[in-house]
This record gives sequence, structure tokens and C-alpha cells, in this order.
Amino acid sequence: MKAFRFLRPRTLAEASEALRREPGAVPKAGGVDLLDRWKERVEEPEVVVGLCDVTDGAALRLEEDGALVLGALATLADLAGSDLVRRFLPALARAADQAASPQIRHRATLGGNLAQATRCGYWRLRSFPCLLRGASRCPVREPGGVQETAGIFANDPCASAHPSSVAPVLGALGAEILVGGGPEGGRGLAFEALWRAPEPGRSDVLALEPGELIRAVRIPPSAHPVRVGHAEVRQRAAFDWPLVTAAVGLTLDADRIREARVWLGSVAPTPHRARAAEAALTGRRLAEVRATFDGRAAAEGATPLPGTAYKAGLVAVAARRALADALERS
Amino acid sequence: MSREVTYRVGLIGPEDLVARHPALRREITVQVHDLDADPWPVDAALRWVGREVPRVDGEAKVTGAARYTYDVHPHGLAFAGVLGSPHAHARVVAVDDAAARAVPGVLAVRTFAGRRVTYAGQIVAAVCAENPRALDDALAALRVEFEPLPAAVTTEDALAPDAPRVEPGRTEGNLHAPPEPGNRAAVDEAFAAAPVRVAAEYRTSVQTHSCLEPHGCVAQVHPDGTATVWASTQATSFFARGRFSRELGVPEARVRTLTEHMGGGFGSKFGALEWDVIAAGFARETGRPVQLMLPRRLEHLLGGNRPDSIQRLELAGTADGVFLGLKGETFGTAGNGPGGAGAANHSVYRIPALWMRQSEVATFTARGAAFRAPRHPQGFFALESLIDLYAARLGADPLEVRRRNDPHPVRQAQWELGAERFGWAAARARRDAGPLRRGAGCAAARWLNAGRPPWQVDLTVRADAGVLVANAAQDIGTGMKTVLAAVVAEELGIEPGRVQVRLGDTRDPAGPGSGGSTTTASLAPAAREAALRAREALAARLAEHWGVPAAEVRSPAGGFEGPEGRRASFAEACRLIGDEEVRVQGTRRPNWAGPFGETAGCQFAEVEVDTETGVVRVLRVVAVHDAGRVLNPLTARSQVNGGVLQGISYALYEEKRLDRALGDMVNPTLDTYRILGLADCPRVEVLLTSLEAGFNNCGAMGLGEPATVPTAAAVANAVFHALGVQVRELPMTPARVLAALEEAPR
Ligand SMILES: Cc1cc2nc3c(=O)[nH]c(=O)nc-3n(C[C@H](O)[C@H](O)[C@H](O)COP(=O)(O)OP(=O)(O)OC[C@H]3O[C@@H](n4cnc5c(N)ncnc54)[C@H](O)[C@@H]3O)c2cc1C
Repeated sequence: MKAFRFLRPRTLAEASEALRREPGAVPKAGGVDLLDRWKERVEEPEVVVGLCDVTDGAALRLEEDGALVLGALATLADLAGSDLVRRFLPALARAADQAASPQIRHRATLGGNLAQATRCGYWRLRSFPCLLRGASRCPVREPGGVQETAGIFANDPCASAHPSSVAPVLGALGAEILVGGGPEGGRGLAFEALWRAPEPGRSDVLALEPGELIRAVRIPPSAHPVRVGHAEVRQRAAFDWPLVTAAVGLTLDADRIREARVWLGSVAPTPHRARAAEAALTGRRLAEVRATFDGRAAAEGATPLPGTAYKAGLVAVAARRALADALERS
Repeated sequence: MSREVTYRVGLIGPEDLVARHPALRREITVQVHDLDADPWPVDAALRWVGREVPRVDGEAKVTGAARYTYDVHPHGLAFAGVLGSPHAHARVVAVDDAAARAVPGVLAVRTFAGRRVTYAGQIVAAVCAENPRALDDALAALRVEFEPLPAAVTTEDALAPDAPRVEPGRTEGNLHAPPEPGNRAAVDEAFAAAPVRVAAEYRTSVQTHSCLEPHGCVAQVHPDGTATVWASTQATSFFARGRFSRELGVPEARVRTLTEHMGGGFGSKFGALEWDVIAAGFARETGRPVQLMLPRRLEHLLGGNRPDSIQRLELAGTADGVFLGLKGETFGTAGNGPGGAGAANHSVYRIPALWMRQSEVATFTARGAAFRAPRHPQGFFALESLIDLYAARLGADPLEVRRRNDPHPVRQAQWELGAERFGWAAARARRDAGPLRRGAGCAAARWLNAGRPPWQVDLTVRADAGVLVANAAQDIGTGMKTVLAAVVAEELGIEPGRVQVRLGDTRDPAGPGSGGSTTTASLAPAAREAALRAREALAARLAEHWGVPAAEVRSPAGGFEGPEGRRASFAEACRLIGDEEVRVQGTRRPNWAGPFGETAGCQFAEVEVDTETGVVRVLRVVAVHDAGRVLNPLTARSQVNGGVLQGISYALYEEKRLDRALGDMVNPTLDTYRILGLADCPRVEVLLTSLEAGFNNCGAMGLGEPATVPTAAAVANAVFHALGVQVRELPMTPARVLAALEEAPR
């Protein structure tokens, strides 16, 4: 790891200010993801803004309007253990509780989870060529590439996959992102607007302005009943990312689906919204979708590589199970 | 020189099994060396041996007090590391180390310009620095110019006619095939006449040892011309041999090697390897103690691996389940090195007509290494899978088919015991309708090892009745220290807590490398003989003290008796030692020809397969193993648990993934190289059929390796039972399970 200057602000406002002041500075939350990247020297920041001493970033609050605001510095263990989250967002609590391992969940923050980089071994090892790190092509897509965990949507020219299993549930909950933190306050971002599509030569995944931080995730209140379910396909039960995650959020009008949100994880360079599946669910009656939804719509538009063909099937299974979870649980 | 001893050997327990199998006990006569202890008969009443004595170093390990090579930081320690090639095949044109040398704190740099590298990770430069940070910066500052050359990193690619050659001049290319076995015609005839034939191709992937403590050592040259080395090795006694001591500039006899605690070896840590030799050179060059431990990525790449295999097998049999013949052609690659010859393991069952050719294939990958039962897990996976295919063809119970063809009397009893405990009949009768399907499978294990001479164990007794047992062999985690303490305590009639065991220090007599599951069976008999010597020495002192002839002092368990009611406890006898010490030695004598020469085992597994996602979970395993006389059921069970878990990991998760074009490993971390974790551990029930084997004064045999031999096979057969279709490639990942289901006729 290359030595860096380490700043330790006390508040989110100070942190954003530090980021603005120091171009190229990187915010560090739990460091679960970053330390590996630095040790491998895939990234060599000159300045790191540590969020470890920030005291105003970890709260989990119920606002007066019924919105839930989840501080970006809350850990996955905080989410899984919070009475508030368990009561109002049980699917999120379960997703947080299934991620990684107990040790990691106590360190990994919500903000870092959303901003985590791909697990693509080619990107994470300096000795491999990688499109995002300046190579002319993505070797995963080439004939000799190891593809099993690669993306199956929007995978050209980069076949990476965003591995968060928490993000899809937030997407299904209709979450929005509060970013900013400077003295002038922040702004709200639609959930999908948090990420950028990969570009050759660029490794950052977030679509933030210089100096911006994820401050919190806001789950808006709903005038209608909402049901949220999620399902993961995990090869190993712990200390691993799912092969595929699916989350389904349904806003109901009595027994009819007013709005559906279907999000997938580990299938595309960013958390992936499965619009065809949403369309297949919207306007339908619960009893009907319970009987007929086979999840295949969630895989629509997939362009799997030879080694990831199986993942399209997993997407359908996970989407179907996520729907069953939504109907069964809440 | 020797005396004849007749004693009863055979099955010690469990009791009901002994009652059901009287033939598993018998009387034998052996020639016992005059200095050796009498063997314990099958029904010997023993106080410590065979009892659950907790690990003597358990507390040190769980509290972190145990010192591993990583933890050794002598004053003035310098840190060394190596840079590996990112190319599988290349010429190192030039190494520019100017920037590396300029890093403050760098003490020395070595480069290997001109070298032809033939696998990714191969060392092209090395650095020694004041501190880990300077080391890391310097390694990153090295600029290496490569001329990449074409490579072939898979067995199939390396066998292609135009494949680049690992050994350029070799006319046979990369194939190292043994001569064709001559009996092909006879075997073909047997096959032609056989009523039933089944054939299939099975494949296994490369598994890395993934020791938690990576390879490496700390080397220090002292001003007096001696040296000390702390090594993470399973062969402490031989670590400093050859190139290592030459590089150190100190003759081997003046090098003291220490292995206090070991964080895993599994066969990959015999002797000093290239980076150790580099560390030795730096230690001499800098005059500083130098630590070089491989980082995880290089540990995966260079630390050794279990070669992969492609196994094409055909089995012939009768319509009622009797094997008639086996044909097999196998290929395997251990990369640049030898040892990748697919697998053998036809030896468990009676197979009258056998034709088997096993070829090695050289590839541009790092060399393999011995790995817990080399060749066996892969070979058993293939053959035991084929047996289930045959049984399915016959509509027969695969367990019954095995029992029909299994000549081993102990394993016959084990099949019976295991099936009962596992609930085989019920598990096989189960049929699930939903997407989650359960299945049950079984497989056999074998091993052949009772330890060997010529090791010596030192034993010292002091006046305070403290006993020290010492040998240079290492305890690689098996519990050797605990076992030796119990054996000595048994012989001396004292508590194991009184016995201190010192292992892993070459100031003590040389010991065996931990390989072939031989260490316990090699050293325990010598320790027992040493304890017997100590008893005799104390008896002699008592005789002198009492003024009676030595022959009149007897030593029943826990004390001494002389004529006219004279008695002394062990502690009282020790007091006579005064300021001196009693120092004795025991020798490992040659094995006798015991009747239970091949250890037997079998395992049963139940799995649940999600047929929609292809995810396999192992729910439970029953493992039945014989290890000769079980000296400590606690540490023995722990060996079997570890073997089973490692076997499941091999069956379901572990796979070194190489980019086929670039030749480098894309999953060289512990999160991307999947290993079974706690959350995936099934219930493992270990049944030990303890057996006085008749080979040595302890009756001990080996266990570490056979415990992992049948697991992957049993799991694969359970998956076959659950799905009705075989997954013929390990690991059985979701992708492979789904592909197998897709191809299955519906
Ligand atoms: C073995 C293992 C298994 C795992 N399994 C799972 C799993 O099942 N599911 C899952 O979802 N995840 C899993 N993870 C990933 C883990 O949850 C993330 O690595 C972790 O949440 C990152 O959080 P952190 O606080 O440590 O982030 P850091 O490592 O500190 O940062 C990660 C990235 O986020 C950026 N960042 C951090 N905070 C902010 C902020 N407030 N605003 C803007 N940018 C920010 C950093 O600059 C960096 O780019 C696993 C990780 C490991 C090691």
C-alpha cells in the first residue's frame, strides 16, 4: 500500500469540505473494500478522508413524515439489528444480516456498500489488464476469460458486476440517496442516479460531484401499502457475495399492483433495474402474479457471455422467489 | 537381540461391532526388539492412551499466545518479499531496479533478468528492506520488461499438437505418458464378455493448499558462524538442507531450525523452497535476521496445489453387481512439475481385469505439491462415481454393490456400522417433489501406513518428577504433542500434565517430515520406548538406594515395588535423581508384519440440492475410519473433521481459476478462492473403529490423509442420488449442476 495523508474530520460537513479542498482525495468508511484495493495498489490515493471519527453519519431515524433516513455510516450490523429497520423494512434487515460475515458486517457501512467496487478479479489485480484501468479491451469478455461472476446486462464493453446485495432491496423500497454534506446542505438523488456506467479508463462507480458524499439513504413514506421481498442465490452461505440478488417492491391498491420495482444485484456494472419484470407485474392482481410470474421477464435484455449463461436462469429464479417473499412476508 | 511376543490384536471398539465381528480379533506372534516395549494387546486396560486428553497447546492457540513463524520478530528484523511474473511464459528481458533501490530503507535487491519464466507468479525479483512499508514500495517500484511467449495453461491446451512446450527440446511435447500397460488385449476380452459396461469421463480442478499461515521463514546468521531459522515447515529436521544452508553460508549442522507452531501444511511445506533460499541469501548479505512470508496471492500461486485431472474410465461387471474389469486413461497437470498423473485408486475393490494408464501433462502453471492424500480424492471421486453409475444401471443399492466387491474385513464392518448410524436405507428411500432434493451417497477410503524407523526420541526426568520429551519433528496441528504426552504418561504411570513435549527444534534428535500420515505412528512408539528406558533407569536407582538387586525392583503402573514390601511412587523415585537428570532415548524400531496393514474407512453424505439454482449443501456426513489404535480420540476426530470439511470444500467450492489466455490466477484471495466456511459446515459424525494393528508397540497407524479421501466422492454420489444425474466435474458449482440438469434426459 502506498502511503497517503490521512485526514480525520469530525462531521460530514467537514468531510465534504476536506474532499473539496483536496482534489483526488478518497473517502474511507469501514475500509473493507478500500484496503484490499490499496494493498493491491489498484488505487494509490495521495489523500484519504477517514470517516471513522464522523459523529453525525450513522443515525437511523424515522422522520415526522414517515420517511426512514438511514445514515450512510451505519454499519450492516446496525441495519440488521435496528428495531426500526426490522419493524419497518424487514427485507432490508434480512439482506443486511445475510451479507458477508458477522465480522465484516460490523465494519462495513451502508454508504461503502453502495459505493463498493466490482469483485472482478481482473480489475482488482494490478497484473491483469482491465478496460477500466486503461487497457483497450475487457479480458473477461475474451475467449480465455474467467466469466462465472461477470455481469450479464450492460456488459459491453465492461463485464463487471456491482456486487451489493443490499442495494437491490433499497431500490425495491423506492429509496433515494441524500448526497452532499457541505455547508449549503445536500441534494436528493434518484436511486439509479447514484451510479455511473463504466467508462474506459475510469474506475469510480458513483456519479457524484467533486466533494460530494453519500450522507444517507431515504426511504420515502408511501400512501399505499408496500410489500418488499428479496432473494439471493448464494453458493456459500457466508463470507461471500451472492451470485445473483433480486428484490421486488410492490405498491398496492387493494389486491392490485399499482407500481412494481424490481432490482437485481451482481448482474451489471451497477445495481440493475429490471424494467420488463416491473411491467409484467404492474397493474396485475396479486393472485394472478402469484400463479403466473415465472421471473423470466427479469432476465429480459440479458446478454450473457458463454460462462455466464447460467446466470440468466438464476435471475429468473431469484426474481420469482423475491416476489414470493414479498407476497408471503409483509 | 529380540524376544517373541504373542498377543491378541484387532478391533478394539466399538464394543457391539467387536461382538458382531469376532474374526476381527486374532492372536499374532511378533519379534520384539529387546529394548522395545511389549505391544499392548487388544484388550489392554490403558489409562491415558485411547482417552480424550485435551490438546496440551490448546490454550496457547485459542488465546493467541502460540508463536507462529509469522510472529517471530528477532531484534533488528528485516523484511523480504518477491515479485512474481504476471505472464505464464515469458523471457525476462530486463529488470530496472534503480527506483526500488532508491526507496529509503531498502537493504538489498535481487533480480532474475534473463530468466525464462514458465508460470505466472514465478519469481523475477526480490527485495529486502528495513520495514514492510519500504519492502512494499520497493516491490512496486521494480520495473520488469518481459518478452511474452505463447503459453498453454490447461491440460487440453497443452496437449494440442501445436502447443508451446514447457521443456522446449522435448520431442513428446508436454505429454509424459508411461509405457502402455501390456495387458490391454486380455482386459479388452474381459470387457467384451462382460454383461454390463459403464463408461464416463470425470474431471477435477486444481485445489490450492490455502494454508492459513503462508509459506515462509525467518533466517538469522549469528556472528559466531551459526544460524537460527524459524520455518513454517512440515519437515523441520531437513529444512536447512542443501541450497538453503549454502545460501545462508552456514553448514547445515550449525543451523538450528525451529517450528514452534504451524499454521497448516497439508503436504505443501516440505523443505526450503525458492523464496526461503532467497531469504537465506538476504540474511547472509545483510547480516540481519530476515523474514520472508508469502503474501496470499503468491501463496495461492506458488504454495503448491492438488493437480487437476481428466479421467476416462470404464467399468465392467456382472448383472448382479460383481466387478469384472476396469479400464482407465487419465491425464493431470501439476504444472511445471511432476506428480500430475490423474489418479489411480482402483485398489479398494476386487477388480480382476485392470488396465490403467495415467499420464502427466506439463503446462505453464506453477508446480503442484503433495496435498493430503495425493491423487486419492480425485481418483476416488471418479471411480466411486462410476460405481454408482454401474449400480444405477443395475437398479442396485450402491452400498450393496460396494460390499460385494470389497475384500477388506474391517471396511465390511465399517460399511455396516456407518450405514446403520447414517440411516442409509431411509435416506436412500427418500424422494422429494419440490425444487429442493435430498440425496445420500457413500464412498470408501484406504491408506497404508504404520509409520517407520529410524527416529529417536529423547526423554529427560528431573528430581521434581518433571518429564521432558523431545524430538525435532513438528506438530503441524495434528496434536502430536498431546499424543506423545499421553503415551509417555501411560508408560510412566503419571498424569499427561506432568509430561512436557518439545517438538520442532533441531537441537533435539531428528524427526520425520509430516507426510504420508506417518508422524504419530513413527514417533509414538519411540516415545514409549524412551519412557520404558526411564522407568528402568529409575528402578536401577531405587535398587541401589534400597540395596537390592536391580532385577528385584518391579514397576507396576505409577510406581515401583521392591522386595519385603518396599514401595516408591514415581515422584519418590525421581527424588533420588538429585541435581542430575535422567536422560534416556527411545528408538523407533522396524515395523512388524501386522495383519491389518491397510487402514480402511468409508463415509456417508447427505446433501440437499436446489435444482433451480444448482446450489448444493451438505447436510450431514458420517465418517467411519480405522487408524490402527486410536491414541487420542479427541485429536483423531479432529483430523477426521478436518478431512471431511476439506473434502466438502474440494467437492463444492475450491478451484484455482486461471485466465486461459493470460495464464494468471484471477481468484488468488480468500474471498474469491472459495473455501468451505463455518456457515456451510454440516453435522459431521465421526466413528472410529480403533484397531490394534500389530505393527508397533503402540498399534498406531495413520489417519490424516484417509480422512479426506472419500468425502468428495460421497458428496458427488449423494448429488447423483438427489438429481438422478451425475455432475462429473469438481467442484460442483451451481453452473455445473445446472448444466448437468439441463443435459439430463427428462
Ligand atoms: C468476504 C466478503 C463478503 C461480502 N459479502 C457481501 C454481501 O454478501 N453483500 C454485500 O452487499 N456486500 C458484501 N461485501 C461487501 C461489503 O459489504 C462492502 O465491502 C462494505 O460494505 C464496504 O463498506 P466500507 O464502509 O467498508 O467501505 P470502504 O471500503 O470504506 O469504501 C468502499 C467505497 O465506498 C466509498 N465510500 C464509502 N463511504 C462513502 C460515502 N459515505 N460516500 C461516498 N463514498 C463512500 C469509498 O470511497 C470506496 O470507494 C462483502 C465483503 C467481503 C470482504
